[in-house]
Amino acid sequence: MTGECDLHGEVTRLVYREAMLLDRRRWNDWINMFTEDAVYWVPAWKSEEETTNDPDSQLNLIYLRNRGGLEDRVFRIETRDSYASVPLDRTVHVVSNVLVESDAGDEIEVTANCLVHTYGKKGGMTRGGLYDFMLRRVDGTLKIARKKITFIDDRLEGPVDVYHM
Amino acid sequence: MDGSPISQRFASLIDDRPEEGMFRVDRSIYTDKAVSQAEFENIFERGWVFLCHDSQVPNHGDYFATEIGRQPVFVTRQKDRSLACFINACSHRGAILTPLKQGNAKVITCRFHGWAYGCDGHCMRIKEEASGFPDEGFDRGHFDLRAIARLGDYRGFLFGSLSADGPSLMEHLGQTTPWIDLLVDQALDGLEVLPGSSTYVIDGNWKMQAENAVDGYHVSTVHRVFAATISNRESKDEYTGMKKTEAGRITGQVSSRGYDLGNGHMAIWAQHTTPEVRPIYEAKERLEKKLRPAQVDWILNRGRNLYLFPNVMLMDNPSTQIRVMKPISAERTEVTVYCIAPRGESERARFARLRKFEDFYLTAGMATSDDVSALEDTHAGSFGRASRWNEFTRGLEHMIVGADDDAKALGFEPATTSPDWDHETLFHGLYRRWRDLMCDEGATR
Repeated sequence: MTGECDLHGEVTRLVYREAMLLDRRRWNDWINMFTEDAVYWVPAWKSEEETTNDPDSQLNLIYLRNRGGLEDRVFRIETRDSYASVPLDRTVHVVSNVLVESDAGDEIEVTANCLVHTYGKKGGMTRGGLYDFMLRRVDGTLKIARKKITFIDDRLEGPVDVYHM
Repeated sequence: MDGSPISQRFASLIDDRPEEGMFRVDRSIYTDKAVSQAEFENIFERGWVFLCHDSQVPNHGDYFATEIGRQPVFVTRQKDRSLACFINACSHRGAILTPLKQGNAKVITCRFHGWAYGCDGHCMRIKEEASGFPDEGFDRGHFDLRAIARLGDYRGFLFGSLSADGPSLMEHLGQTTPWIDLLVDQALDGLEVLPGSSTYVIDGNWKMQAENAVDGYHVSTVHRVFAATISNRESKDEYTGMKKTEAGRITGQVSSRGYDLGNGHMAIWAQHTTPEVRPIYEAKERLEKKLRPAQVDWILNRGRNLYLFPNVMLMDNPSTQIRVMKPISAERTEVTVYCIAPRGESERARFARLRKFEDFYLTAGMATSDDVSALEDTHAGSFGRASRWNEFTRGLEHMIVGADDDAKALGFEPATTSPDWDHETLFHGLYRRWRDLMCDEGATR
């Protein structure tokens, strides 16, 4: 029981930490939470009730095959040359409902929820998402090997980027 | 033009004097609510508008719900494989009939009072009919669904019109068909819309989205960050071959053109710097056997954006896209994007096509998001009424009336050609068409 509590605590801290790094724009620390081969996936909606589920043959809002994809996003933000990213929207992630779904030792599956309040040119808005993490222990530290975000907002108001999710 | 005050006012918003070196548009055309209202009536609910692609309704009973202007409609596949399109409202109390945007229903039952219709629009059943309507002389057919006035199909692209009068679909499409053919003919086994779409709302007028689709001039500013990001990415060696997302046209000095295709349609192209990384390149030999050399050249080597007046863009640039827009009001526009692809392409090509699409074309992507922000700023700036005009004179002195050699080789006759996609004279065609429809005698009653 103690081990389970320890793991839950460790996983929860990781999920909270990711949200904190995004909101505080500590981009490089955020990227370093991911393994180099990490997949970052935000499916598109196929219908009102189902998202796409096969990136090989279906469209996604974002599908990044490795950490380099996240580096692209941060590179673009940091150039200050992206119209959509200047001024940068302010965000507050509230993450909760953290559950360890499976623990195979080296690989741990975790689900969580997020509400992201955004404030920018369009005023304030709040969007929701479901997180599915695959965490992997690398040299004793848990890293994100896969993050799938089911972004429940479908008809998107203006641009969205990784920090809105 | 009928000379009525409102017609005269709309006409005065387009200052069309190219012979004096001037073509400009009053910015109130983007912000004025009366203009927007008239556009719904005179443009969207009279002329041809794009509805969907036929691969989105492949089987008997499949439906696709959309709007023509403000009016809800659905396209549905009939038993004999033909297509029909009806106003999406129950004949009884007007409830929307389709529970989903896309689905299958050979019999469509209204979820409100249970009236049922065949997908051919025939009213089949009225709940408790006998207890509410007379035994004799009652004609259930009176409640058949109302078909739209005209449904047209150009090679799988479906268009509808709420008006029985006016030009045929072929007359409307005019000089754009060789451009649509380039998309259709590169798919030797047909085209299909891939699962998954994205819808976003722009706080901006629909005509700004129309301009943006064929505005080559913004590319080297708004999208230079995309080019820089891709260049940075490709310094890492795993992005090779087809996995590369080409950005050469953004920074490179390449050949390009812009065309006013008539009827409000416009198009641009720019030469690809690395055509071999495009998914279609694997079909090169097959295309060379089937198509004319000019067609193959245009398909493989030129990134192309086509705007079909008033509501759809067909893009074949880093990836292949149908972009549909629906004005909501003067200041709000809903846009939905789909990836369309040749059936039967290799898994490798399909994967690359999707990733290139996601890189660039989505509001969650790294380029369209910047376009959306630019359009929203442009809309906001249009309220600066003390500065009244948007000028579209750039490139006027280089404009060619009629076709250039490239257009002749492919086989279309544009109204005008711009020898560089940085030029802006193609927009004259959009705004002349707009003015003609907004001031049409029959439309301003």
